[in-house]
Amino acid sequence: MDTFLTFTVLGLVLGAVYAIAASGLVLTYNTSGVFNFAHGAQAMLGAFMYWQFSVGWGLPVWLSVVLTVGVLGPVMGAALYLLIMRGLRGTAEVTKIVVTVAVLLGFVYLSQWIWPPEEARILGLFFGSNASIEVFGVVIRAHEIICLVLAVAIAVGLRLLFHRTRVGVAMRGVVDDPDLLQLTGHDPERVALLSWVMGSVLAVLAGILITPIGGGALEANALTLLVIDAFAAAMFGRLRSIPRTFVGAIVLGMSATYLVGYAPASWTWVGNFRATLPMIILFIVLLVLPQDRLRGAATRTRERYAVPTVRRAVVWGVVLVVAVWLLAQLMVPGSITTFTLGMTFAVMALSLTLLTGYAGEMNLATMAFAAIGTIVAFHVGIVGAGLASRLTWWGVAFGVLATGLVGGLVALPALRLRGLYLALATLAFGGFVANMVLRDINESGLFGGIFPDGNLLVPPLKVGPVDLRDPLTALLTVTVLFAVAAVGVIALRRSGYGRRLAAMKDSPAATAMLGQSLVPLKLSVFVISTSIAGLGGILMSSTLGSVSAESFPVLGSLSLLMLTVVGGIGYVSGALFGGLMAGAGVVAVVASLNNLAAGSEGLSNIYSTLASVFLVLTALVGMGVGENPSGRAHLVTATWRRIAPARPVLIGAAALEAVFYLLALFHVIGNWWFAGLTVALFACTPRIARALMPSAVLTAEELAVPRPVPLEQVGLDKPFTEEQRDAVDRELGLPRHRPAPSTIPAAAPRASTVATRQETAHVVA
Amino acid sequence: MSLLEIRGVTVRFGGNTAVNDVSLEVEAGTITGLIGPNGAGKTTLFNTVTGLQRPSAGRVLLDGDDITRVPPAKRARRGMARTFQRLELFLSLSVRDNVRVAGDIARGGSRRRADLAAETDRVLELTGLTDVADRDVSDIPTGRARVVEVARALMTSPRLLLLDEPASGQTEHETDAFAQMLAGLAADGLGICLVEHDLPLVMRLCSTIHVLDYGALIASGTPAEVQQDPGVVAAYIGTETAA
Repeated sequence: MDTFLTFTVLGLVLGAVYAIAASGLVLTYNTSGVFNFAHGAQAMLGAFMYWQFSVGWGLPVWLSVVLTVGVLGPVMGAALYLLIMRGLRGTAEVTKIVVTVAVLLGFVYLSQWIWPPEEARILGLFFGSNASIEVFGVVIRAHEIICLVLAVAIAVGLRLLFHRTRVGVAMRGVVDDPDLLQLTGHDPERVALLSWVMGSVLAVLAGILITPIGGGALEANALTLLVIDAFAAAMFGRLRSIPRTFVGAIVLGMSATYLVGYAPASWTWVGNFRATLPMIILFIVLLVLPQDRLRGAATRTRERYAVPTVRRAVVWGVVLVVAVWLLAQLMVPGSITTFTLGMTFAVMALSLTLLTGYAGEMNLATMAFAAIGTIVAFHVGIVGAGLASRLTWWGVAFGVLATGLVGGLVALPALRLRGLYLALATLAFGGFVANMVLRDINESGLFGGIFPDGNLLVPPLKVGPVDLRDPLTALLTVTVLFAVAAVGVIALRRSGYGRRLAAMKDSPAATAMLGQSLVPLKLSVFVISTSIAGLGGILMSSTLGSVSAESFPVLGSLSLLMLTVVGGIGYVSGALFGGLMAGAGVVAVVASLNNLAAGSEGLSNIYSTLASVFLVLTALVGMGVGENPSGRAHLVTATWRRIAPARPVLIGAAALEAVFYLLALFHVIGNWWFAGLTVALFACTPRIARALMPSAVLTAEELAVPRPVPLEQVGLDKPFTEEQRDAVDRELGLPRHRPAPSTIPAAAPRASTVATRQETAHVVA
Repeated sequence: MSLLEIRGVTVRFGGNTAVNDVSLEVEAGTITGLIGPNGAGKTTLFNTVTGLQRPSAGRVLLDGDDITRVPPAKRARRGMARTFQRLELFLSLSVRDNVRVAGDIARGGSRRRADLAAETDRVLELTGLTDVADRDVSDIPTGRARVVEVARALMTSPRLLLLDEPASGQTEHETDAFAQMLAGLAADGLGICLVEHDLPLVMRLCSTIHVLDYGALIASGTPAEVQQDPGVVAAYIGTETAA
């Protein structure tokens, strides 16, 4: 009985913390329409800051709490809203999710920069582990009482806020109809700001409460994911109801502790299962949620993607393969392998182009599907032993098919629901794979050791005469596979099937009203997409040669998605950019900087800081995606398409690039120089084209706009216009030398008179 | 047996009754008008007929079969098509592809590509959209965008077409051509239900008009009868035309 009560109390405490975390999430989601994936990272950052105040700088506990919860929390929430989230109105759900994912990654990188993970940090219980009372034979520690009391207080507080205060009622209204809210005299911006502040405070609070309960070790990734468990609780309330969220949190906390307390000793996998439990519960909740109403396009979103023709895609595919071959000539074998790794990530990113860019659905667990593909290929598709062992084509084929099948099964429960729920289902699957599958390392595991010894040796692929043991062959094979898959994806988008996907993305309601059943369409695209992810995953593993659980990180899926969206989720080139960055670019830059740090005594600090800054910067770029939701590829395509008529400039640029290449090939300049010059040339060419050949590049309207004459030269290089004369006279108070100034605005466009007036003001001043 | 029959449909949102015990019919080969002030429940009724909204009570029958619980996509495959008052165009697609995708869906993969392209061109021609066929659908004016919705619906070869304010945003000239097209379609046997604020257009085209006010039918009959109905004049025309 005592044990039962003890576990009950522990469960209640865990549930209380989940409730605090989940209610913050529900709050921000409902008032700003942004599902904050960074909620866990905010909690993590709060816990680290609290540690810094109380342990690092030795401030009193009360002061540390005030600084963390009372200052850091609100400031972080306000900053997030004002700097980032406010700009997300009118963007697709995908963009909203990716921006919060970028914040998550940014916070994790930031914390690893400030608090290097090599050093262990422990956060103790409030009032220590000895301060406790005993009720009915159960020892309840002070920290646990604090958790329970705070959860109850927050529940009561939120209830009062929503039902008894004007601003609370406004908060409930802001998502339903911001315009209506404005009519009733509320400022939706202020209401949303307040909710982000409150959500952030709740996250930080949850962070400093849950860390000691979870063992006290401060580890950025683990802490971030710990609070993501609270997402499951929020699902109980369909992300709307705070009371139901609390019920869900308690159920979650209790079931986790009872499971650990009462599972038979022979279930050695129960620890892993317990870690996965919230995600499994999330999955079950998705199964029983009632179907959403079919929705139209709620807002006109700002994302725009142009799809190339298949013919053009084939040409670019060939160009890509040739370019990669040329680049490989500059590289040492080690770099070629890194490059190959980047291309395998590009294949995985391609799965996101199809799923997210074309069909508007989400997958937050690409790496988990990569792991599934790898495991299947490992178990069925390897022949030979030792150095002679090879991955076979049927191993790849089985892996790809199995991944697609698993993808279908994962998506199935969420297909009836909105895109966000599918994203959460994949997140849950990612947690499941990370905790259950990749830790299933020996016979006592639930799956009987599906991931033997926690380390799979995946040899290079060999098909007929093509042996990927040679790095250059591997690079070219993977590049060709990427190009073929990319052309395939574009051909798919150009087909009737692709038009149906685009229709579903733009307006589910209208698509259904044309007779399209949405569930089979979503299911099929998810299966195809996860198959591609599986292919990329198998190639990745075979490039690495040896993979462990760390090769398939949960956060890796998120950063791949983020970088692909930055590149342009609706473009195959966006996938190429995102994959190369995620798989090779970031690694290469960070490794180079760290090498420099190790190599140079005095500057080592600066270089290792630069490496951290670079990581945070990638996340910052992700956060900026709200500004340009269509991605870099969109801008680049638009810019280069415009200068296409300026042929001489393009030929000149190509010739210059060839010179750079030859210089690099004969080691006159280093590879970094080559990369730098290429980027510079790429950036400058459009400007040069505009400057040298304006008639070819600019439209008639742009040419018609007169070139601005510097103010001080007006009257010298160019005569004063009548308007300028009038404006000068007016400013100087001189009598008008010309009649009827009222005719001037009619004669000249308004903008130009305004401009002249400003110019004149300068002249006079 | 009527093409479409609505029997005693009621839709409640919370305590608010948006549609209250409405019964009406739409016959093949005719245009039936549905008018009423803003918020009268016209769009909600359309949503109920097309399956986007479950009614709290009442039934919807197509060809005499009860389809009240049939999902929207299946209703569409049985010959029902609609347009939306708040435009629901596919913004990633060109005008032509907006129309063609309806054919992609209706025929699955079975139809030859050339046939589909020809059919798309025919519908674009019929609706007078040929000149903007390759433009981005977000680039054309609202009045013509509404016609794209009509063209898309026609591409499914429907037997029943529900039009939700298709003429708003159209120029007078466009409306004339549009009216002629609708009359032609009805003459070919299509049953049309038209929600529209352009009363002269409704009076000109419809053989039967139903007037909805506060969710309830207050009058039904020929244009002449409805125009003279004192209740309608008081509740609808009196306020709407004055505004």
